[in-house]
Amino acid sequence: MNVAEHLKRSAVLGLGVSILLTLVLSTWMFRAEEGELRLQQRQRLAVMHANALALSVADTDVGETGRRVSDIQKLNPQIESVIIVGGMQLVASTRAEDAAPRRLEREEKALFDLSNQIRSARETNQGEEVVRKKIIQVDEKVAGHVVVTVPYIAHGEFAGILQMKFNTTGEDVFGLTPDSYTLPLLLLVAALIAGTLLRMSADKRIDLVKLFVIGIFLAIAMLYQNQRMERYEQMVVQANQAVAEKYLATAEQYDRLGYLALAIDNSSANLWDTDHYQRPLGLIAADGSIPAETQAAHFEKRTRFFNRILWAINLLGVAVLLMFIYGFAARTYAALKEHAYAYAYVTPAMIGMLVLVFFPFIYGITLAFTDTTLFNEFLPFQDRWIGWDNFKAILGDFNLYQNTPDGIIWNYQNFYWTLLVTVVWTITNVTIGVTVGFLLAMALNTEGLRGKAIYRVILILPWAIPNYITALVWRGMFHPQFGVINQMLQMFGMEPVAWFDGVASSFLTGLATNGWLSFPFMMVVILGALQSIPRDMYEAAEVEGANPWQRLRYITLPLLKPTLIPAIVLSVVWTFNMFNIIFLVSGGQPAGANEILITKAYKIAFENYQYAYAAAYSTVIFIILLVYGFFQTRITKATESY
Amino acid sequence: MADIKTKNHLLLHVVLISFTVLATYPVLWVLALAFSGQQSVGLIDLPKDPGFIERFRSILPMPAHLSVSNFTEVWTDQDFGRWMWNSAVVSLMTTMLGVFLACTAAYAFSRFRFPGRNTGMLMFLVSQMFPGTLMLIPLFIIIVKWLELGNTYVGLVIVYATTAIPFCVWMLKGYFDTIPYDIEESALIDGASRLTIFWRIILPLAKPAIAITALFSFMTAWNEFILASIFMESELNYTAPVGLRFFVGGFSSQWGYFAAGSVIVSLPVVGLFLHLQKYLISGLTAGSVK
Repeated sequence: MNVAEHLKRSAVLGLGVSILLTLVLSTWMFRAEEGELRLQQRQRLAVMHANALALSVADTDVGETGRRVSDIQKLNPQIESVIIVGGMQLVASTRAEDAAPRRLEREEKALFDLSNQIRSARETNQGEEVVRKKIIQVDEKVAGHVVVTVPYIAHGEFAGILQMKFNTTGEDVFGLTPDSYTLPLLLLVAALIAGTLLRMSADKRIDLVKLFVIGIFLAIAMLYQNQRMERYEQMVVQANQAVAEKYLATAEQYDRLGYLALAIDNSSANLWDTDHYQRPLGLIAADGSIPAETQAAHFEKRTRFFNRILWAINLLGVAVLLMFIYGFAARTYAALKEHAYAYAYVTPAMIGMLVLVFFPFIYGITLAFTDTTLFNEFLPFQDRWIGWDNFKAILGDFNLYQNTPDGIIWNYQNFYWTLLVTVVWTITNVTIGVTVGFLLAMALNTEGLRGKAIYRVILILPWAIPNYITALVWRGMFHPQFGVINQMLQMFGMEPVAWFDGVASSFLTGLATNGWLSFPFMMVVILGALQSIPRDMYEAAEVEGANPWQRLRYITLPLLKPTLIPAIVLSVVWTFNMFNIIFLVSGGQPAGANEILITKAYKIAFENYQYAYAAAYSTVIFIILLVYGFFQTRITKATESY
Repeated sequence: MADIKTKNHLLLHVVLISFTVLATYPVLWVLALAFSGQQSVGLIDLPKDPGFIERFRSILPMPAHLSVSNFTEVWTDQDFGRWMWNSAVVSLMTTMLGVFLACTAAYAFSRFRFPGRNTGMLMFLVSQMFPGTLMLIPLFIIIVKWLELGNTYVGLVIVYATTAIPFCVWMLKGYFDTIPYDIEESALIDGASRLTIFWRIILPLAKPAIAITALFSFMTAWNEFILASIFMESELNYTAPVGLRFFVGGFSSQWGYFAAGSVIVSLPVVGLFLHLQKYLISGLTAGSVK
């Protein structure tokens, strides 16, 4: 078979593979998106009913509330049951066995807790004037049922919760034509046949035929995606219409019963149809009409990110196609076949690394570009995407201190403060480690010293103990009331120090702990290097009349350099990331002033639950280490030639 | 001349002894606390207005009464035994999985020349630079939220084993490289399969390196604190490090239990470390001094 034939076969195969890949991936994405829409639809209807009922009983007495709740429940077959909890009271219930109103029973404490939780979420949102915590709880643990909990407001005050069990089984609002793959598959077959008629030339990098193949691929992929997108838009419109119809029917019911008046114009916001923060969605006006431009804008916003994903899929397809056209795929296959044995050995470790190291790394960096927190992680990805905002907030905040009449007040939450603390922390620790390590190594390297081996083993002890235990022990020794260090100070007539209350003293606690556990490493490394320096060099120098200082300066230090520099480089990275000591000894006290970057990132993630912000913070740390690594290799290289 | 030497050494001994005291004091303090039979962070109860002697007595690492009750109680009244069991299971499973993954990969990297070999080795190296917290959040989401492996051994084990892989692979590869290829060639000629060679020849020859790898994997899991505290939420599933912090973190201050637990947890690690320190040090310096 000649080269052209070979290339042609590759191109046809590539076309098939890339189109199949694109179709499968796009279908998968559309399915996921449609599933999301169905879920939102179910929950939106339930939330609407719950909101409506809660509004209608806002200003009624207990008897009237109970009557209204049971009336509405009877009129709407989808509402299975409703309960209203106010404080310790079960105000109303449609379940016959409940006999509301009555006190909550012991088993119903969960309801009381939920009520308090929603109250505090609501207060948080009002207090901070940002919408941060969900105040509507939606629970879909049992298939076919949604349990919605909304705040129960009585006479303008938060009084408790209204919980509605909503049956979601019923007719499908989406009257859809089934998925159709016939057209793209027919086109694929046509393209494959056309492909076999092509003449590929082996010598040109780009020619018309190759462009034509790519064109065929893009045409088929986009045709299919457009078809699916239209169907999806139709679904969104149908969903909205279905909600609007339900809304109108229900609103008329309330109007007829005299519970809530139906709005006749479309100027006021629709308070029934809200998101989980009880903000009106604005897709349906108060009179039940659907504003066309809002709907279009909503769809546009909904699909903006999705369109990008589709483009990414198409790009992937083109990349695969190009790999086939230019013969990479064939070569990869050949390599895989030839070295099957080697790959079999590497695969388990590689899969582990890809799934649990490289994927989390990329996922973490992606997360940095969103505003994911504990409270909105259920939202679809595109709604959380905020671009570079996290990085702007971290790096662009220069509000480092405030000038007040009492002097300068530092802002300990600022990134640059934490960076400063981290740099000071790293430099002081490494300096202490190297100095103490060097002194002890020199001492232990003295000829004829007795008890060397014993000293060595004892001095190495701090390195052997797990560092989290060391940290907790030192935390105990620095205990402001009973700690031995304060006892020692008092023994010499000094005042006890509240170690964790001052910025400098708290920093010292970390420094002492880390100094204690890090000098043995330096000592051992330096001692090893010292012992490898030949004795006769010193003897020769002594004969030449060099004094001890000159011997140190011109023999010991230059010969230590190749060992010392990698050790320092390593210990800088270790100290920079020394999470356990800061976290366990001082905990960054006071007020987070002694936090280093890595503990700060941890606290942002697992105490404030701002996952995305913490991811961005960690990305910045990574970049700092990367830059350090880059310069460090250059410096090490420069010193090696010395 | 002899005079000067002794004098110099005296000074050295003073320096070394003071550092020895500094290095051992916290250790002795924990031991004293562990054998004190009480929970407070102070070793003795000070009188109302203590003088120099009483103060001095309180900083001496000597318990007021010798008692092993902390050791017995931490084991019987507290969940510590359970936590040690968790730690042991997780660490042993991590060791087995880690050594298996590292041995196979290192063997391939050492013996075969295949496309992607250099990239793969470089990837292992680069991954060591990823900061912990950047991995923490995605790992939490993947393991706890997606795979629902929170509060299980498996979740911790697979994460520990993979994080230990790069170091172990580099280390084992270095050792495999020193095993002459002739041995394998002659075995191949004798008709042994690759798998037999790996299993019967390479692994037994690499025993010392595998031992170090296993120790490293074990220590990674045994001493790990952050991931365990995030993955293991319920008290019964704590590993020993998380449990020890539980004794003295937040609002509880059971220093006696903490001290006794620390001694139990540290003993095997410190013993192994002091026993193997020579290899560790030669491993650390081998790369830098050429």
